[in-house]
Amino acid sequence: MNSRVSLTYPRPAESVAAPAATGRAPDGRPLLTRRSATLILLGAASTTAAVLQLRPSGTDEPGTGPESFDETYLGRRITGVRSSDAAAGGVPAWQVAVDGRPLHLMRRADGSYLSMVDHYASYPTPLDAARGAVAELGDQQLRPHVGGM
Amino acid sequence: MVHTRQNQNTFSTAQKRRFVDAVLALKRSGRYDEFVRTHIDFYVGDGDGALRVAHMTPSFFPWHRKFLLEFERALQKKDPGVTVPYWDWTVDRTPAVSLWGEDFLGGNGRRSDRQVTTGPFARRHGNWTVTEAVTDGDFLMRDFGRPQAPVDLPSKAELAGAMDETQYDAKPWNSLSAGGFRNKLEGWPSRRGDRTWFNHNRVHRWVSGHMLGAGSVNDPVFWLHHAFVDLCWSRWRRRHPDVDPYLPLERPGLGDPQHGRVLAAGDVMPPWNIPLRDMLEHTSLYRYE
Repeated sequence: MNSRVSLTYPRPAESVAAPAATGRAPDGRPLLTRRSATLILLGAASTTAAVLQLRPSGTDEPGTGPESFDETYLGRRITGVRSSDAAAGGVPAWQVAVDGRPLHLMRRADGSYLSMVDHYASYPTPLDAARGAVAELGDQQLRPHVGGM
Repeated sequence: MVHTRQNQNTFSTAQKRRFVDAVLALKRSGRYDEFVRTHIDFYVGDGDGALRVAHMTPSFFPWHRKFLLEFERALQKKDPGVTVPYWDWTVDRTPAVSLWGEDFLGGNGRRSDRQVTTGPFARRHGNWTVTEAVTDGDFLMRDFGRPQAPVDLPSKAELAGAMDETQYDAKPWNSLSAGGFRNKLEGWPSRRGDRTWFNHNRVHRWVSGHMLGAGSVNDPVFWLHHAFVDLCWSRWRRRHPDVDPYLPLERPGLGDPQHGRVLAAGDVMPPWNIPLRDMLEHTSLYRYE
């Protein structure tokens, strides 16, 4: 498997808001280390849109991007943290939330992600799946207790 | 008794009313929402490592056949003369068709919040309050064709591409199966990174609103959609009578990534715990007109 594949996926059509800063130098190298990105994320978490797209470092898991994200998209705050706890089958789990309410994600066999809001398509990264869900939510909130499996 | 399912576009006014009344009666009793919950609970992604019986899996067809049959039997307890009609989305392709009429399923959601405001399932009538769902709105939502990211209903050619497949399913028995009738009709793109959706999946996307998410059963059109999917499976079997009606015949062995994740032909199917084989033929239970 080639982890680069996930980075060349087109943005979902729903992602019409501001294009994400790539966080990369023109030659493709990440501008930020994961450590510095984490610090920036921590700093930005209480303010506003930190949109970071970093090449994954460490394990090359297809369909993932950075280790976490925290941004405002279409006026909604979306956060995600990649858990190191291996879920069933050793698949890394993500804790994703929209305005603080959990958004359950599922994996596809190609490493892409589906959300409870959008079950009949998959997205290359958890961030894309969260943005797709936000685009679908409109003015609504996620129900707090509709979990996945 | 063998009953007959017919095309919804041939329904008389009286048939529409009886179907709708039976669905509303199930909703009043709480039984309808149990079906919604079952579908939510059995949606398992093929990257998550658990047994999949309903989606991204060979038993997609038999699981939904049994699911529909259970729903139809529940309807028939309210009105023995009712069956689930089917919606041939290759023919009835616009929001103007009678399916979406005031006397049947109601129409598209309004622009502001996608709320369905026409027909018997409109929130304002008080008969259709959504309780088992992902989002907190209690009204049914639709967003035909998803104007923000437009999608058409599947064409006859797209459906034919699935019907021409000469094998029921193919390795790796999931959403990435490049060949086989099952994944072509279920509608997952087999190529990594491909964001094109086909047939069954595409219809969920076209109706959108609740049909897009885990709570898709909240929209009664779910049943008419899946009745047509079931009919397509039936037609496929008649067209390819000499091939195995279900694959895999044997459970994937130890070391196979699909070990323990898919049902083989001889397995028992949750949550009903019936032999999967019992769902491979339907003519002793119901027929299509």
